[in-house]
Amino acid sequence: MNRLKPAFARLNKLPRVALIVIGLFLALGSFAPWLAPQDPSAQNLLETGLGPTAAHWLGTDHLGRDTLSRLIIAANTSLVSVGSVLIIAMTVGVAMGTIAGYHRGWVDDLLMRIVDVGLSIPSLITALAVIGIVGPGYWTMVLALSLAWWPMSGRISRAVAVSIMSKPHIEALRVLGASPWRIYFGHLLPGTIGAVMVYATADAGTAALAVATLSFLGLGIQPPTPEWGQMLVDALPYLESDPRQVILPGLALTAAVIGFNILGESIALNRIPKPLSRRTLALRRIEVAGWAKENSDA
Amino acid sequence: MIHFISKRLRHSLVLLFMASLVCFTLVVSAPGNVAVLIAELRGAVATPGYVEKVAEEIGLHKPLLMRYAGWLGDAVRGDFGISYRTGQEVSADLPKRMLVTGTLIVGSAVVATLLGLALGFLGAFWPYRLPDRVSRGLALLGASTPTFFVGALMIYGFSVTFQLFPSFGFGGPESWVLPWVTVAVLPAAVLSRVVRVGLEEAMASPFVLTAKSKGLGRTAILFRDALPNIIPVFINALGTQVGLMTATAIIVEPLFAWQGVGDYFLQGVKFRDFMVVQACLLIFLAFFIVVNLIVDLAVLMTDPRVRRQWS
Repeated sequence: MNRLKPAFARLNKLPRVALIVIGLFLALGSFAPWLAPQDPSAQNLLETGLGPTAAHWLGTDHLGRDTLSRLIIAANTSLVSVGSVLIIAMTVGVAMGTIAGYHRGWVDDLLMRIVDVGLSIPSLITALAVIGIVGPGYWTMVLALSLAWWPMSGRISRAVAVSIMSKPHIEALRVLGASPWRIYFGHLLPGTIGAVMVYATADAGTAALAVATLSFLGLGIQPPTPEWGQMLVDALPYLESDPRQVILPGLALTAAVIGFNILGESIALNRIPKPLSRRTLALRRIEVAGWAKENSDA
Repeated sequence: MIHFISKRLRHSLVLLFMASLVCFTLVVSAPGNVAVLIAELRGAVATPGYVEKVAEEIGLHKPLLMRYAGWLGDAVRGDFGISYRTGQEVSADLPKRMLVTGTLIVGSAVVATLLGLALGFLGAFWPYRLPDRVSRGLALLGASTPTFFVGALMIYGFSVTFQLFPSFGFGGPESWVLPWVTVAVLPAAVLSRVVRVGLEEAMASPFVLTAKSKGLGRTAILFRDALPNIIPVFINALGTQVGLMTATAIIVEPLFAWQGVGDYFLQGVKFRDFMVVQACLLIFLAFFIVVNLIVDLAVLMTDPRVRRQWS
């Protein structure tokens, strides 16, 4: 924790807010079943469309369900589906990317053309086409979104893998007689996964948005499981009499997406300082000492 | 220049061929027996004899290559087969739907261009001051707010509370305003950043220094020297955003009860009507390819550096 503190202090105000929002989202999502004050699907038709009261802090929806509890459980739903989408997409993407980066040649060309096609079609259209062929359902949604998401991590991991493969220590390993398996699993894969993970977290916002959009269209998470996009479309017919039920889930989703977008921008601009490990510090000290020597020679 | 255009056209044709291949394989690889599905959709009991008849009718027994050639030949002539669900021609009201979606995309592109340019110039005119921060904040908000939430807010604000515009339907121009703005919010946010960053880069280049030393004011430099420089970049970004608008149309059209291609695609997906999904997908992919072609030609027109490279 102490090592994190200077890193946190060096951040600008905006990324700091983003980290707090993301932390809140992760905490709510992880502990939702214990945090929700009431049963999210308990209906009470005598108390529909209420405003904020002592029992229901954010009111109730058109079926008398507690909105606050539903919003919190929705964070959990969103977190789980986004997590599974990103894990599947990253596994496929890193596998394809490292294979392309390791082999080069026609394997690389073929895989990267597939990635190009995947990237040029909007992810929503890819996902909807897959759902249209396979039929709707929770796992279809996860599968469809993973299929739309893997080209992104595939391209990044291919670029990272190519740069790792051109480094001198890989050549040294080859000269020493290391097997391809050792180079691939011992050196190429760990390095690539680390780099891709950073970009994948930044992408979590768009993934959350895609899950909510599919649910809004009625093809993602099905009622009665609460999800922000699905809560919004559920309350849309009552927009005139009870706009709160539309605006609250929309705001929750927007806040989460803004958080991830700011984080992604900061990562792209390299504004997030990494906590320095002892090894990096030692390396840096040697480097600086080298400069000093060069200057004294001159 | 003619060399470039002919090369680019050939490239587009190859892409179109690949797109048709993608659409065809997607439907062929669908799980389950299509003939059984159609038999059930027609409300008949799927007895083996009837299924056999259906399979014969839609040509399931022919080799794949023959089926592809037949399908492509029909599709090129605008015949996308018969909808499994309704039993009607898929292409029956496609022209009308394409007109609706076209209205949506063209109008939104205009709104997004105007909004993006205005916001970007606001930031570039007073860099790192209050207007720039406002423009950046609006861009972040616009890029992060889900489109369906924007649409719901638009309906609530301008249709329920103030009753300025109708909340649904494809009637006169006033019913077009809300969908246009809803679709344009996200592209406008992205474009404003493109304009802002591009202008800042242009303002740091040597020809701006020359203009300053000639005694030109900031406004004149921004419009006369910096603006032509960002036009190719802007057209490129706009092209990407127009392509993405097809995806947004799928969300916005049902919200405002517009019967466009996006709505059709969604209906097809919901009822697993493969022929409709296939036709709409092919239209979307063809649209991307055409937009990309237009963008490349427009960049060729507006960027003397690219033009010189190819002449």
